[in-house]
Amino acid sequence: MSVYINGTAAFISQNTLNFNEFQKGLVEYETDFLKTVPVDYKPFMTPIEARRMSKIVKDSIVAAETALKQAGVTMPDAIICGTGLGIITDTEKFLEKMIDDKEQYLTPTSFIQSTHNTVAAQIALRLKCHNYNFTYVNRGHSFESALLDSIMMLREGKRNILVGGGDEMTPHYFSVTKKTGFWKQEIVKNTELFGTKTSGALCGEGVAFFLADSQKSKSTHTELVDLKLFYKPADIKEIFDTIKIFLDANLTKISDIDLVILGNNGDWEQDKIYKTLQETIFEEVPQAYFKHLSGEYHTCGAFALWLASQIVSHKKYPEFIKANEMKTDKINTVLIYNHYSNINHSLFLLKSI
Amino acid sequence: MEDLIHNLKKQIIEALNLEDMKPEDIDAEAPLFNEGLGLDSIDALELIVLMEKHYGIKMENPNDGKKLFYSIKTMAEYINSKK
Repeated sequence: MSVYINGTAAFISQNTLNFNEFQKGLVEYETDFLKTVPVDYKPFMTPIEARRMSKIVKDSIVAAETALKQAGVTMPDAIICGTGLGIITDTEKFLEKMIDDKEQYLTPTSFIQSTHNTVAAQIALRLKCHNYNFTYVNRGHSFESALLDSIMMLREGKRNILVGGGDEMTPHYFSVTKKTGFWKQEIVKNTELFGTKTSGALCGEGVAFFLADSQKSKSTHTELVDLKLFYKPADIKEIFDTIKIFLDANLTKISDIDLVILGNNGDWEQDKIYKTLQETIFEEVPQAYFKHLSGEYHTCGAFALWLASQIVSHKKYPEFIKANEMKTDKINTVLIYNHYSNINHSLFLLKSI
Repeated sequence: MEDLIHNLKKQIIEALNLEDMKPEDIDAEAPLFNEGLGLDSIDALELIVLMEKHYGIKMENPNDGKKLFYSIKTMAEYINSKK
């Protein structure tokens, strides 16, 4: 059974609402972490409706409703989301109020909005959708788990699954996690990320939503042929073997891949895995990066899928994502390989329709 | 009374995250719920906490809520009556 992406929208630090605008140039940032661009919510919700929602909730609603509109779907059979951190802004607000007011005068809004399933719930409330509604919180496999669930639902005969993933970053959470060494200790330009020789990733945030269906439509961007999640591989050989088995299972050879999108995040240590692949099995394959656009976060695989869907659909990709000099005269098959902290590894295979 | 109404407007804007609104945009005599600002039951809880936090007023009888929270003016009158 095939899975088709019939609608999609994403928000990151770049202009992604329109792929043609996105291709015009990379927006350069020199900041501690990449923040999503401001979004115009007015066509989607009134200020009164928007007042309780943090940015990630509003961005997710706009992305989800845009994906639905593209696909011409008003009521999905399921809403499935993935998030690593949930609504961390409101979680912090709630906890700060508890401390500041000495556990008195606790107000409901931040608490209600801080739960991990807020996004899926808000979308359902707005659509008055009583169908399956689920949120996966599986660190670097959060979005991928949501997508896997969507694929299984389509195999069971459901139609039009709204699936998405997103995470937001706050200055407080960033400063705490920076102390672990996970993020770069120095500020780097996103345009120069892959030239750095230091440890730590470039941190980011973003959301992406998709309307997945078992049937093609006039709005279909691409076919998602297969998805593979694997956990804590023992060594690079296991990664090589997993990629090979994944491609064999989908009757695809390395030479069939027109573009491989890789999750290099600028961390000297973590990127060794990608570099090994880039210099061996993917040496002859055109390669692209995406984390200088989005930064690293638990659900950035959703943005990679948005990017791959757009590339397959438009049959082109911009210079600023190229990771090597290999060229291709067609873009029919795209592979995404991403890992989060060398723990959660993912492979997505897409083909043109 | 005017100062109290102005402060209440500012506190409501902050508590309810009415980011795009200014105190002068709110009619002190307009209904807070359904019409007017269009607030809902979650906002009512926020207003109860606001009254206790800023003015030390605890709502003892829930039935008073409808009258008390009719408008910003009725809230101000209630606060004044408790001073």
